[in-house]
This record gives sequence, structure tokens and C-alpha cells, in this order.
Amino acid sequence: MSSAYNPAILELGNVSFSYTQGSHVIKDLSFSVSSGAFIGLLGANGSGKSTILKLSSGILKPASGTVTLWAKNMYSFKHKDRAKLICYLPQTLDITVPFRIQELVSMGLYPYDVPPAMAVDEALELVGLRDKAQAYLVDLSGGERRRVFIAMTLVQGAGLLLLDEPLANLDIKFQFELISLLKHLQEERNISVVMALHDINMALKFEKIMLIKNGSILGFGSPEEVLTESEIRNAFDITVTIRQHPEGKAYVYYE
Amino acid sequence: MPKIKIALLIALLFSVCILALFLGPRGINPLDLSDIDRTIVFSIRLPRVLISLLMGMALGASGAVLQGILRNPLADPYILGISSGASLFAAFGIIMGFSFIGTFTIPALAFTGAILTGVIVGIIGRKKGGIWPERLLLAGVGLSFLFSALLMLMLSLSSDEGLRRSVLWIFGDLSLSEWSRIPYGSVFILAGLLLAMTRAKALNALILGDELAHSLGFSPHTERLVLFVSVGLMTAASVSLGGMIGFIGLLVPHIIRFFMGADSKVLIPAAALGGGVLLCVADLISRSVLPPMELPAGIVTAIIGSPYFLYLLRRKNVLSI
Repeated sequence: MSSAYNPAILELGNVSFSYTQGSHVIKDLSFSVSSGAFIGLLGANGSGKSTILKLSSGILKPASGTVTLWAKNMYSFKHKDRAKLICYLPQTLDITVPFRIQELVSMGLYPYDVPPAMAVDEALELVGLRDKAQAYLVDLSGGERRRVFIAMTLVQGAGLLLLDEPLANLDIKFQFELISLLKHLQEERNISVVMALHDINMALKFEKIMLIKNGSILGFGSPEEVLTESEIRNAFDITVTIRQHPEGKAYVYYE
Repeated sequence: MPKIKIALLIALLFSVCILALFLGPRGINPLDLSDIDRTIVFSIRLPRVLISLLMGMALGASGAVLQGILRNPLADPYILGISSGASLFAAFGIIMGFSFIGTFTIPALAFTGAILTGVIVGIIGRKKGGIWPERLLLAGVGLSFLFSALLMLMLSLSSDEGLRRSVLWIFGDLSLSEWSRIPYGSVFILAGLLLAMTRAKALNALILGDELAHSLGFSPHTERLVLFVSVGLMTAASVSLGGMIGFIGLLVPHIIRFFMGADSKVLIPAAALGGGVLLCVADLISRSVLPPMELPAGIVTAIIGSPYFLYLLRRKNVLSI
């Protein structure tokens, strides 16, 4: 296929993981992420989305299986070298210490001895927060806070962003803004994004969806392929109808 | 901007030190020194000023580091039980009348107690190959209670004189300051301070949480261990130099954050300087207000520091708590 031209930048092979002995949260999971991908990780609460992202970022180590980053064992990287390639943003960013936005975004430079091309100001401009560089994080809205950390990852210069529920607690306007910002970054800068989410209608906007249940992949492909009524019922234990908007787009109708 | 503020703090520190040398129960004119004046300044006041400076620096910087690695604004260098261990050992030495190595005995015992406690807390705080903030904090608090109870037991069984001297030591007694303590005190405190300053970026990352710290290219557990060692060295040396001095480790970092921000690269040295300034001033007041009696410096730091802190809390938009 096109894999010769678009190699996998992240690959999980037969990964299993458990927090406590005995019960596997993730069972024999395999998938790969190619350069420029835009993947939504969809599943019910407790399905293992966060765990998959933490395994993919090297925060958690699998009990068995392999995690490779740019065809190299994830754990053979030096911490700083890994940080130049892959970036993980947790779901909760509850930071009460009075850091200024500028200071936080500059922390993206920490893995580097020689700063990369993307300047702090440029990153702030891209996420629309240039005029708030001197503001404190705690004074910003939830949507703006998310964008601060997106700017930090841009400065960090990693080609792969793993985002854990970045849309949680954002109102619908900020959700769309964040998605279009990430799409823009993917298109303009070839940044790959893997994002956990739980809104099925939002998932329809992704190029690829990975549907998760009990730590296993139910389906991985385009939303049309994966998000069928039966698979949604299977994953979320709810009954839905997929309808067609008059303009042609599909949407999910909850019974 | 931060550089100017740091320079101002250094200038303030120097001025306070000079004042502390010449002011006190006996005012001394620096331009007209008698032999007695010279003895007072160089043999009594200078070591005392240097020790208060070192202790204040150690406590201020340790507080700034600990609040970061434990992600807890209420953390101070004494919360980990290090000081309780030091007090227990020191009081034991005082009550038993130990003096194997002369006047150095009690500080050496206190330092041993502090380091031992730090190691025990570190071992209990370890799990799955890493040091976990909550475990560390709870291990410290638990051990602190145990040591305090043992200390109370020991004090209640001791003679009046042993009790009085132990209590004075525990509350922070700078009147015993002498030159012999300065070399070892400064080595441990400056080593701890430099270690913490070289890890300032890692501390900033840890404040954001372990997952973000990992994502930014740090190993959270290793960095926390290194910073814990720096705090252990500074706190142990500080307690062994002059007992427990409250307020500085807890509130000086917060006061510095009001004025200079939260970036650890600035906060650690600034909290050290701020702690030094405050303890020098407090010690000057403690030996000047009711001569020839001396108030414990820890009481003075709390009496002058707490109202100022509360005033700032009302006036400024406090973001860190």
C-alpha cells in the first residue's frame, strides 16, 4: 500500500496492560498511526482510551507487547529525544501556580539545547493568544487554557500529538474552534493527532475513528465504516439511529 | 526584569547583614571600633548573621522546591518529618548530656537525625520504582507525629534544665552560633541550593503534573528524587545549625511568587535570598527588643511575617492558593 511513502510513526504491537494484577485493561492491542493522521479514539467511560494514549506516549509501560516510535523501541529513546517527537496532553490541566502564558508556552523548549524554529510568539499567534502572553493561566477560560497547552506542544515541535479528551468541559463553540485549529495544524504542518473523545457526532468529523470497548478495538477506519448503529450499540450500550442531514452529512440521533 | 529584582534582593540582603552586625542590644559605631566591639562583631555577631543567613536561605529555597514537588501550597520543609527527626536526636543528646565532639555534638546529632528521617521518608514514599508526592507527604506527616510523640515523652521524663535547653533548641536558638558550624553548614546548604537551581526546569515541569513533565522530556520520579535530596540536605543542615524556625519555608515562597512570579528558575534563588533577609531581620529584632533576654527567632519570623502575608493575601490577587 502507501506505507512506503507514509510510514507508521507510532506502532503498538500486541500490547497488554493492567493496573492491578490479573485484570487486563488493555488486551493484545495492535494499531499504527501514520504521518499526518487525524484519529479520534472513541469509547465509553472506562473503555481504556486514556490508558491507550498513556501507553502510546510512554507514560505507562505495557506488561507485554511492543511500542515503537519512528520504528524504534519507545523505551530506547532518551527522555528529551522522545519529547521532540511525541507530545501528550492529559485530560485535566489543573494548575493553580501563577504561571504566565508566555512562561508556560516557553516550557515547550525544555527538550532542546538549541531552540527549534517555532518561536513562542508564533505559537501564541497561531492559537490566537498573542495578546494574552502576560496573562496568568488561572485567569483564562477553559478553551483558552487548552489552547495555551496546544501552543506549548507546537513550540515543543513534536510531530505527533496525543490528546486526552481535550474537548471535555468546553462549550460547543470552543470544541469546534479547537478541532479546526488542530485540523489546520495537521494540514499546514503535517502534525498527526490522536485524540480521545466521547461525543459520537463530533467523531463523525474525523478522518479515522478507533472504536474501543473493554480495552480492545471494535473497529478502526473511516467514521462511515466504523460508526454503524450496531457498533455504537455494542460500544456504548445505547440505541441510536444514524440519519442523513438534507445536505448529505450523517448525524447520530439518540433515541 | 527578574534579574533586576534578584539584584535588589541581593542588595537588600547585604544591607540587612551590615545592619545586623552593628545594631543590637549594644549599638556599635563601625567607624570607631573598640577591642570589645571588634570581639562582639567578629566573634559573636558575624557567625550569628551568617548562620541566620544560611538557615533562612535553606528554608526559603526548600519551601519553594517542596511546594513544587509535592504540588501542595501548604508544604514546608518541616512537613516531611525531617525536623522532627532532628529535634528528637538533638533533644536526646542534650538531655543525656552527650559531648563526644564538644559543641559540635548536638548539631551533628541533629544532622544525623534529619538525614536518617529523610531516608526513611524517601523509602516509604517509594513505590513501583518512583517517589510519589502523596506517599511522601503522608509518610512525612506520619513519621513526624511519631517523632513528636517520642520527643514529648522524652521531655516529660527529663530534668528541668534538660527540658529548658531542649525546648530552646527546638524553637530555634541562634545564640549558640559559632564559627565552627559555618563550614559544614554552608557546604550542605549551598550544595542543596545549587542542586535545586540546576533542576529548576524539571521543577517547573513537575508542577504541571507528572504526565506533562514526562511529555516535556523529564523522568518525573528521578527528578523528584533529586529535588527531594536537595531539600533533605538543606533542611537537615538548617535544623542542625539552629533548630526549627517556622514561617520561612511555608510563606516566603508565596511572598516571592507575589512579586516575582512562579518560574522556578527565579523563584528558587529569590526564595533563598528572601528567607535569608527575613531571618536576619528576625534575629536582629529577637536580640534587640528585650535585652538581655532573647526571643526565639522562630517566634519573631512568625509575628512579623504572618501579618504581612495576610495583608498581601487580602490586597493582591492571590493566584497560588
